[in-house]
Amino acid sequence: MIETHHLSKFYSRGLYALRDLSLTVRKGEFVFLTGPSGAGKSTFLRLLLIQERQSEGEIFVNGSNLSKLSRREIQEYRRGIGFVFQDFKLIPTRTVLENISFVPQVLGVPPSQQRRRAFQVLKWVGLQHRMNAYPLDLSGGEQQRVAIARALVSDPVLLLADEPTGNLDPDLSLEIMNLLREVNAGGTTVVVATHDRELIRLVGRRTVTLDGGRVVELA
Amino acid sequence: MRMLDYALREGWASLWRGRGSSAFAIVAIALAIIVLGSLLLVTWNIERLLARWTSAAEFSVYLQDEATSEQRGAIEALIDDSRVADGREYVSKADALTRFRREFTELASLATGFEDNPFPASVEVRIRPDADNDGRADALVRRVATLPGVADVRYDREWLARIASGLAVVRGTGLALALLMALAAAVTVASVVRLGLQARRDEIEIMQLVGSPIAFIRGPFVAEGVLQGGVGASIALGLLWLGFAAVRAGWGVDLGALLDGDSMQFLPARFCASLVAGGMTVGGVGGFAAARHAV
Repeated sequence: MIETHHLSKFYSRGLYALRDLSLTVRKGEFVFLTGPSGAGKSTFLRLLLIQERQSEGEIFVNGSNLSKLSRREIQEYRRGIGFVFQDFKLIPTRTVLENISFVPQVLGVPPSQQRRRAFQVLKWVGLQHRMNAYPLDLSGGEQQRVAIARALVSDPVLLLADEPTGNLDPDLSLEIMNLLREVNAGGTTVVVATHDRELIRLVGRRTVTLDGGRVVELA
Repeated sequence: MRMLDYALREGWASLWRGRGSSAFAIVAIALAIIVLGSLLLVTWNIERLLARWTSAAEFSVYLQDEATSEQRGAIEALIDDSRVADGREYVSKADALTRFRREFTELASLATGFEDNPFPASVEVRIRPDADNDGRADALVRRVATLPGVADVRYDREWLARIASGLAVVRGTGLALALLMALAAAVTVASVVRLGLQARRDEIEIMQLVGSPIAFIRGPFVAEGVLQGGVGASIALGLLWLGFAAVRAGWGVDLGALLDGDSMQFLPARFCASLVAGGMTVGGVGGFAAARHAV
């Protein structure tokens, strides 16, 4: 699913965010990326989302070399990827259901299907009763569940989560991780960046530890 | 179609949300359209008048008092054979005097002191419009002027040409001013749309991350500019019409006399549609520039 070969990302004055990273994530796998702040976890996810370009090396996702994609191909590629961020990135002026149906709407899905599909995933994360609420009326855990529902609404083959439990207490964090495990059980490849070692231990999945942009441990 | 629907709905919502700042863009576009519209209104009415004068063109061949009937016959034969004339009328010396007394009643006493009738006989020739345009009328006038028995030929087209070229200068200057104002309006629209764009940064980021087509991302901002342009141009046309109605109510009779008995008319529908389309284009260009700069 994901293959990187000698992947590096550096900024000016030789500051490396990632250094010579070679990694394989198989289709349907659930992988944790962990390490201290500045280890390169978020940079790796940003490279996978093509929010940034690598300085050296190559990334392949489903056989596509990400550095060779045109603008239009990047749009196509991103339609197969779901993302979840620590700060949820929900639109405060739209209701929960509108936040989710926003994705199919801007992908040109027919209106009748937009709300039906949005309601399905909202039900799946257990928040159908909050569909008319606004994000700021929800708890942190609920907001993150909405963000997960939004990530799933276009049936992604790959789900990327950057510190999805960073703003949540331990119980809610485990709840969100269980939700991500369910997503993975449905066949979606999941890559989660987190520095929460305890959570990783509780979930018990393959873990890649980064430090200073390098892989320091594979477990 | 879905993209268009989405762009228009979001564009309108954004315009309404930022109606305070949108007002600036709408006013800027309205001002540009008012300048252009006023210019069109004035020049169009003058052009109508010129066209009428041109289509009613005629020249007068003044005969010498001693011109013989054969000479007059030769002159009329040349005019008839030229295929330039739409018709002709012989005005005798007596007819000319009568006409003077009828048309210039205050000056009629001037014509009573003469022993002889001072007015020359003439042949008035109505020219076919196509002949006036292609120069055949000029050629005929030159030929008639050389015939025996002809005292003078009057074919005063120069002043019409001078008005037409003056009108072209006015139109060119006004157009340049309107273009400059349209450019300023486009820049204002771009600034206003950019404000809305900043307010929707999060949405745009999500749209980019989910792989939304670029047309979906930029569309609402272009639509917002187009809508601002449409609203601005419609307001401008409304104000222009009100101004026109006020002028017509206040000075309609005087202007009618100035327009040779014709009434002043508002811009035809095709001009109005073009002005609205122009306003929308200016707005759309501003919106597109803002969206392209940011996304």
